Amino acid sequence: MKTYAGGLKKGDFIIHQGSINQVIKTEFYSPGKGSALMHTKLKNVQTGKTVDYAFKSNEDVETVEVNSIEMQYMYKDAESLYFMNAQTYDQVAVPVGMAEGFVQYLKEGDKLYVFMQEDKALSVRAPLTVRLKITHTEDAVKGDTVSNARKPATTETGATVMVPLFVKAGEVVTINPETGEYVGRSAE
Amino acid sequence: MRTLPQNITHYRTYLRMMQAIETYLHNNNFLKVDLPVMLPALIPESYLEVFETEYRYFDTRRSFYLAPSPELLLKRLLVDGVGNCYYLGKAFRNSEPESSKHRGEFTMLEMYKVGADYLQLADTVLEMLQALHVATRPKHTSSQMMRTYQGISFDLSKWEKLTVAEAFKRYAQISAEELFDEEQFIASVRKKGYQTVRTDSSGEHTYSYEDLWSQIYANEIEKNLGTAGHPTLLYDYPIQFASLAKPNADGTTAARFEMYIAGVELGNCYGELSDWKLQHHRLVKEQQKREASGKIAHVPDWGFIDVLKRGLPDCAGIAIGVERLGMIFADVASIADIRLIEID
Repeated sequence: MKTYAGGLKKGDFIIHQGSINQVIKTEFYSPGKGSALMHTKLKNVQTGKTVDYAFKSNEDVETVEVNSIEMQYMYKDAESLYFMNAQTYDQVAVPVGMAEGFVQYLKEGDKLYVFMQEDKALSVRAPLTVRLKITHTEDAVKGDTVSNARKPATTETGATVMVPLFVKAGEVVTINPETGEYVGRSAE
Repeated sequence: MRTLPQNITHYRTYLRMMQAIETYLHNNNFLKVDLPVMLPALIPESYLEVFETEYRYFDTRRSFYLAPSPELLLKRLLVDGVGNCYYLGKAFRNSEPESSKHRGEFTMLEMYKVGADYLQLADTVLEMLQALHVATRPKHTSSQMMRTYQGISFDLSKWEKLTVAEAFKRYAQISAEELFDEEQFIASVRKKGYQTVRTDSSGEHTYSYEDLWSQIYANEIEKNLGTAGHPTLLYDYPIQFASLAKPNADGTTAARFEMYIAGVELGNCYGELSDWKLQHHRLVKEQQKREASGKIAHVPDWGFIDVLKRGLPDCAGIAIGVERLGMIFADVASIADIRLIEID
């Protein structure tokens, strides 16, 4: 399938210089000389490497059709993250590089959408939020009254996040895995 | 619409910078000119889309356009002999989605220096940047003209001056011979693996020299500019990008420069074209391109040519993106970080 570069969106899969790439970022740019451009950040699904590339905004781009299927996260090793399709029990591997930035917030059993090209897993979508138990954080220093003060806390997955001073070890917090930001305290 | 009170510190830096711009220009005898932004006619520019609005009074209807640039007004005043002058205010560009470095409604500083060529105006701009640096620098900074933007250090004591031909040779391995010959250039770009032909229902279209040049510029040149320890002054653009700039004596380039810090384009300067016949010819071409591309058919400002016939004084002019400059001096990643109101 073909589209024009100006219509590319974050998350799209395209063929770029012979390989499948996922669009990580797009930014329209009109330099005031020549036609408008679409600045993109592309991640090669084989290597996990990212490149910056500016397309002419009306340039043809070949897109790759993918299905997103909800799967359960199982575990990871040095190269891949492993997911299981709960309907078929099929297991697939996604290169670690495709989950860069949010892999540290994932725990076994989390449900995520895996992008499949036929039966090959290309990438995985970061969940909107994750709920993680805080395993360690220092108690707040008394007298520190800055309203939006934050302190570091360690989650059950080993990630470090910045949380408000009132959060205590043992509590469950909600995190935005794409930014690593604390969203709120969880009822559980 | 949301407020962004968390940006107040960055916003204050931006304000200090704006005040320093006004102070510098006032002290150097540039007249501040307040201008309307709704105009009945515009200079045709093929690569810009405009915002159109309408005045209504009973049966009366009149089209107005939001000014994409104050140029057509400031140049009228220059012909009248107003001398060094500037506009600091809003400008508008349609069909340009918002990004970290751009918004369709933005603040522009456009200034003209009479009797100066483009490289002399560059000296004035550098001096102004130094004044902005002093007005906004963080306390306790030891070194005089050193500044950092997102981890990239630069020294405002001088420009790194680079011609477009030198930059293409250095960063894109394209020689001057290839750069100034459209056919050779397109062949080299194809060899690099760029798409040079587009196919649609009406057949094959070869991309123009301008389109491909801009793509190479964006992919291979721009990111390097203003990253080697000084702000970069990139000058002498191919004549195809002359727009309202004077041609140089070499016949292949125009008296135009752009300035960069840390890969961010901050301003665009012309040695102003005063030859009204050449100007007329370029505007007719731009108008034809506009019509062919299906852009809003605004009223062309042919009166601009009549004004130029009276003689534009020798001058150079520069347009600077003020929010971008604010982003640099506040050391934030996006122009959105210096705003107090966001329109989602």
